[in-house]
Amino acid sequence: MKNIFTLIIILIFSFQITKSYGNTDDNKKKYSISGHIKDKYTGEDLLGATIFIKELKSGTVTNLYGFYSISLLPGNYQVNYSYIGYKTLEKKIDLTKNITVNIELESQLKLLEEVVIKGEAVNANVSKAEMSVSKMDVKTIKQIPALMGEVDIIKAIQLLPGVQTAAEGSSGFSVRGGSIDQNLILLDEAVVYNPAHLMGFFSIFNNDAIKDVKLFKGDIPAAYGGRLSSLLDVRMKDGNMKNFSGTGGIGTISSRLTLEGPLKKDKASYIVSGRRTYVDIFLGLSNDEDLKNNKLYFYDINAKVNYSLNENNRFYASFYYGKDVFKGNNFKMGWGNETETLRWNHLFSKKLFSNFTLIRSVFDYSLGVPEGEANSFIWEAALRDHSLKADFNWYPNTENTIKFGLTSTFHNFKPGSARGLGEESFFTEYTVSKNYALESGIYLSNEQKIGTKLTLKYGLRFSVFNNIGKGTVYNFDEQFVVIDSTVYPSGDFFNTYTGLEPRLGINYLLNDESSIKASYTRTYQYIHLASNSTAGTPLDIWLPSSPNIKPQIGDQVAIGYFRNLRNNTIETSVEAYYKFNKNAIDFKDHADLLLNKELEGDFRFGKAWSYGIEFLVKLHFEKLDGWVSYTLSKAEREIPEINSGKSYLSPYDKPNDIAIVLNYQLNERMSFGLNWVYMTGSPVTFPTGRFEYGNIIAPVYSDRNSYRLKDFHRLDLSFILKGKIKPNRKWRGEWNLSVYNAYGRKNPWSINFEQETNNPNKTFAEMTYLFGIVPSITYNFRF
Amino acid sequence: MLKQKHKHMKKIICFTIIVISIVACTEKIDIELNDTYTRLVVEAYITDEAKNHIVKLTKTSDYFYNKPAPVVEGAKITIADGQNILNLTETQPGIYKTEKIAGEIGKTYTLNIELLEEINGHKNFTAMDKLMPVGIIDSIGIEYIDSWEVWEIRLYANEPPTSDFYMFNWMKNNILITDTIDEVNVSDDKFFNGSYSNGVGVGWFEEEREDENLHPGDTVTLIMSTITEEYADFVWEIQAETGYQSPLFSSPQANVSSNISNGALGYFAAYPKRYSSTVVGNQVLKK
Repeated sequence: MKNIFTLIIILIFSFQITKSYGNTDDNKKKYSISGHIKDKYTGEDLLGATIFIKELKSGTVTNLYGFYSISLLPGNYQVNYSYIGYKTLEKKIDLTKNITVNIELESQLKLLEEVVIKGEAVNANVSKAEMSVSKMDVKTIKQIPALMGEVDIIKAIQLLPGVQTAAEGSSGFSVRGGSIDQNLILLDEAVVYNPAHLMGFFSIFNNDAIKDVKLFKGDIPAAYGGRLSSLLDVRMKDGNMKNFSGTGGIGTISSRLTLEGPLKKDKASYIVSGRRTYVDIFLGLSNDEDLKNNKLYFYDINAKVNYSLNENNRFYASFYYGKDVFKGNNFKMGWGNETETLRWNHLFSKKLFSNFTLIRSVFDYSLGVPEGEANSFIWEAALRDHSLKADFNWYPNTENTIKFGLTSTFHNFKPGSARGLGEESFFTEYTVSKNYALESGIYLSNEQKIGTKLTLKYGLRFSVFNNIGKGTVYNFDEQFVVIDSTVYPSGDFFNTYTGLEPRLGINYLLNDESSIKASYTRTYQYIHLASNSTAGTPLDIWLPSSPNIKPQIGDQVAIGYFRNLRNNTIETSVEAYYKFNKNAIDFKDHADLLLNKELEGDFRFGKAWSYGIEFLVKLHFEKLDGWVSYTLSKAEREIPEINSGKSYLSPYDKPNDIAIVLNYQLNERMSFGLNWVYMTGSPVTFPTGRFEYGNIIAPVYSDRNSYRLKDFHRLDLSFILKGKIKPNRKWRGEWNLSVYNAYGRKNPWSINFEQETNNPNKTFAEMTYLFGIVPSITYNFRF
Repeated sequence: MLKQKHKHMKKIICFTIIVISIVACTEKIDIELNDTYTRLVVEAYITDEAKNHIVKLTKTSDYFYNKPAPVVEGAKITIADGQNILNLTETQPGIYKTEKIAGEIGKTYTLNIELLEEINGHKNFTAMDKLMPVGIIDSIGIEYIDSWEVWEIRLYANEPPTSDFYMFNWMKNNILITDTIDEVNVSDDKFFNGSYSNGVGVGWFEEEREDENLHPGDTVTLIMSTITEEYADFVWEIQAETGYQSPLFSSPQANVSSNISNGALGYFAAYPKRYSSTVVGNQVLKK
């Protein structure tokens, strides 16, 4: 099967490229029009802006750095540059040689109004060859009513069809039935291993610093790999190239401030953004004396600078650092992510764009009891990645866009180490040995237009994973009991896995307003999260594939019908998918995942599959915008040692899932936001019997996940009031009032079975629900 | 430290929930549960104390049965140590006792049960456990820990270099505080193997519970036992399955293991008991 795919792709490739070249040779020499498209007022690159050649009824879009290139025969062309929310620019070009055309587009909205940063040519969802992709502009995200007014990218993504919330309030999400560790979350190309702050109630992404958010639920580009289910590509703003400006907000539980401006006008700019919560304040309200003295907060910092040396070279450096801190009298805990990205955009020619990236990404946590006690200890764990990437975009002609590149990441896992602190402590050291691994990939893909109707996308990624010494591998018998262990010396490449990952897509345009798309994606996942909580905790342990853990392999096929109505103001789509996951991972009953040298013995392997159909209607009316989505799906697993070998529902199986997200612009100053979500209750395991032992009543279970929580539904509302615009004042303020769970639905978060205190023979079920009606108020400003 | 780990986890969970609890609530709800087939439940112990050792036979019931577990009467029960066979007599319905005898360290005991009537297709059930050797407690101390609002029992003892599993029970004025299995502290030695315990906390009297509050003059007794790894797992599992479950920190629910044959639930545990007492002085009072 693998070989056939490879062959097909290689054949298509060689055939098509020669064909294109053949054409070129037959005809006159082509010249390129290339350049960058930017926002006129901020100088921010516009990603995915459209370049349309009227004469050819064809065009291209800008890449992730706002760059475009198109090659045409000499002649006179009328070129339209467009981007949603911006005035379309028409340019007449007399093409006689390679030329650079840099474009600055002007926002349609009034200057200094909320700037639309993301958008597409109006029928892009129909005409683009990609499917199963959701893009969100930061403006939309900011209008969505949110818990405590903390507007959040991940919470917004959870409102999209095919995306399930792991648990209310969680930053974990499941894409099309996949596990929460199967999402590749990138911030300026650096992997974010744990996107959660404060146990998941907030994500690490600070909207003010974010430019662009794109979620791939399938049809993942060949340039990316390493996770089975999805790619969440988050790009930070580059910083205002024209003027110094700031944005910020003062909210119920946090405040934030972002400053940006040119270092050298139109050449270099910076952005610095910070955020801190003051949850501690609530602790002061607690009656518990002890809690009052506790500290609990998180903060994060985003910073980025970029410098255009000349037309052909541009440099970017981005940085993120975030920490959660919890300090009690004799206990402390902290966790966080850190990412650094250095990038160099280089044009080898007007047709060959390249980007070289150097990345460092760290996730770590520590907890412990400070020195001075018999039980003083510190427990630390960390995961450090260093990556190198080279990506190339080649625009040989109007029909083909070829992307290729390679990437390599060195993983350094420190799964956990605990030791006593100070002389009084009686703890000895217990260290789960470190692991090292190298994960590499090489890819080649082409997006090819055949005529005006058909677009093909085909690519191949070849991935290689090496376990590198020094490392200790435990050998297990069939009962998962350790027999012995093997120690590999430093630098020894002692285990290798490889994967061929074909990515295919096809788009057939029925007419200007409708299209049919299909895709097939194979993905390999070489590192896995050892966590069996549904929602995800900060105590994450990532573990590499090894002689005991095979890589997970995912196959997904999807087909979709896309249709726009009423002059593209209504976008509709239906997508159906089927996913199959080999070497799927779950954990043995009562697994002990934390600080366990023999952790691999707690892994169990089987298969997982899911299928579903997603309906989406998006509205872009003048005053009303938003979307309505409905997903019907199923997700199951089968692992021989779990649930007596019978298949069981994935914890993220929620067959019916509805989201309604609407925003209504009442007038220039006032707007209303609403979202309503409904989903089938999560699968849970409830007791079917009980027994007595040691003077308590313990449960007897039958099948795993054979019950469901009550259905979940919730309405959130928001109202935004903008301050009056005074012509000679730069300051713009707005009030954002929001109500989370407006009708006070008691959605169960967990169900516990307990004994009555007064009559221990009596057992009862008790539900915990997190939120009643939660109002909040935030003041946002811009200058 | 495993217990410590769990204690810390509990603290974190507790804390998270308190942070949220400004808005979060719990309420009793009605749930309809299916029923399942009946299983035999065995609760049996043998220790190195000279006493009448007890075997309790009951049956599983529907989850909302709301009465004491139905007992199993008329069974023939023996405990054998390889040389001798002890016959047990039913002193109350479902409660079977040995004659007064002490178990011996190092011996493996076998429990045999023959029922009058089949349960789940079986009449005969068997289980084995080993009575493990135990070290000596040098002394214990008591300290009030402000932030946890507990009085902590601190242990001073040598920990042997072997891999060991401990069970700690504690009493106040000769009344067992850890009278339910979820209160017992079971710990492995993986974080302090072979070192002097140096006053590590092994038992806790909770201030919020009236009967556990300590006053000067109270006698505090710690009971230390070594247990098999399998029994330690059993206790941890039963504690996990009866503890607070939440999507944030809990693993998927799963049945508690057992060492009884033929699908019966419960455990036959053999272990030694070592006692150490101290009298509460003025210094340990909460300030």
